[in-house]
Amino acid sequence: MKLNKIKASFLLVMILAFLMNSCVVVKEYEKVYLNDTDMKLTANKINKFETNFQVYREAASGANGGKAGGGCGCN
Amino acid sequence: MNKFLVILLFTTSFFAQEKQTDTIFKKRVLEKTEVDFLMSYYTQDGDHAAVTGGIGTEKLTDITPTFIVALPLNDDEVLTAEVGISAYSSASSSNIDPFDGNQPASPWIESSGASAKDTWVNGSFDYSHTSDDRNTILGANLSVASEYDYFSIGFGGHLSKLFNEKNTELTVKANAYIDAWNPQYPAELSSGFNAPLGYTTNYKEFDKLGRNTYSLSLSFSQILTKKIQASLFLDVVHQNGLLSTPHQRMYFADTPDFYIDSFHLADDVERLPETRFKLPIGARMNYFINEYVTLRSYYRLYTDNWGITAHTADVELPIKLTRSFTVSPTYRYYIQSAADYFSGYNTHLSTNEFYTSDYDLSKFNSNQYGIGLRYTDIFTKFKIFKLGLKTIDLKYSNYTRSDGLKASIVSGGFKFILD
Repeated sequence: MKLNKIKASFLLVMILAFLMNSCVVVKEYEKVYLNDTDMKLTANKINKFETNFQVYREAASGANGGKAGGGCGCN
Repeated sequence: MNKFLVILLFTTSFFAQEKQTDTIFKKRVLEKTEVDFLMSYYTQDGDHAAVTGGIGTEKLTDITPTFIVALPLNDDEVLTAEVGISAYSSASSSNIDPFDGNQPASPWIESSGASAKDTWVNGSFDYSHTSDDRNTILGANLSVASEYDYFSIGFGGHLSKLFNEKNTELTVKANAYIDAWNPQYPAELSSGFNAPLGYTTNYKEFDKLGRNTYSLSLSFSQILTKKIQASLFLDVVHQNGLLSTPHQRMYFADTPDFYIDSFHLADDVERLPETRFKLPIGARMNYFINEYVTLRSYYRLYTDNWGITAHTADVELPIKLTRSFTVSPTYRYYIQSAADYFSGYNTHLSTNEFYTSDYDLSKFNSNQYGIGLRYTDIFTKFKIFKLGLKTIDLKYSNYTRSDGLKASIVSGGFKFILD
């Protein structure tokens, strides 16, 4: 059960990754919009506090590029 | 003589050229030291406190000043240090011992005893090294956190590879947290407690107090067009050890009830399995709509072997009002199913192996609305000593949960660049 879930999730991520990777290559000099502060693929630093209370008040956590669990007496 | 000069000039220019081709221009990974001062003020209230078995006040306030310093060690290496404090006052935690205040004991009244307040202190360090071609980033991290009843030490490593003219990034992270409880049990379960006649329980203290968490994270980022980029995240998390919270009371439907004032004395504390396996998968996609508006979106599917499935959807719309000011409305929706071991106040049976009345593990959905404001000064004109102010971030969010819990949080951040 556990192994099947991991395999299925991994497969899903790999398929999506393959589909995404088949896009056109954007050159460095064409990345002016992508380099905008609001286009960062990470959460803003001040959102760490919101993520922290959500980790305590909700059962789900992780898969956001940050900490995946542990380090607190939370869920 | 002229021949000699020509040969000399030719040789010099040849070596000069050779030297020039040997010099690789490397942009520093981090140009200057960055200092972030962040702070938040969080409040919540509800009527399903886990400390009092699923009833009672959940009133809580929390202030969290945090410093983050990113220090370039050289062209390729960056050391990031973070120190944070969380000072909180919690009505439900105060009711670990509801009999130490001056008021009658009640799950609806905050006790004024020692457990009403606590401080969580956290320190973490991350070191990263980027290769000369800037396509490989290797790093390691260490963290320590401590509060009155919990201590944690964590460590890990991460590796990122960029491909495809930096259009594609693959990151693998591994982390371990070796944590330990210093358990605080409900006051009435302690041996010296002056209990009412006939009050007995089958309660036993936990003998294993450690909690270990191991996580493996995979993330994949891809530029899709000149205006769209996306990331996929997969975490595999395994926890073992004391996953119950020792001060959370349980009341059984099939055992007699005992009270002091209006406070129901515990039949036991929360008991949860000693292992948990979590599997969250997330995706983020950002779209640069035009020079004024950007769309940031996020979705996560979460599942674990305690029977919880959850969905999270988050959308943010940063709007540039001027070159310096950006306003960002945000909305987040979250829904989860209940853990197999959850039931409400006084409904579990004492014959069950595992039980909890912690509403954080119940079935609910939540809505969170927020508004953020950012001020940016790319020239860092305002100075404090040698620190130039680059950005100010402010954000307010309001959170409501379908079980009645309400919360709000104000966050602020100041980013400085060291001249």
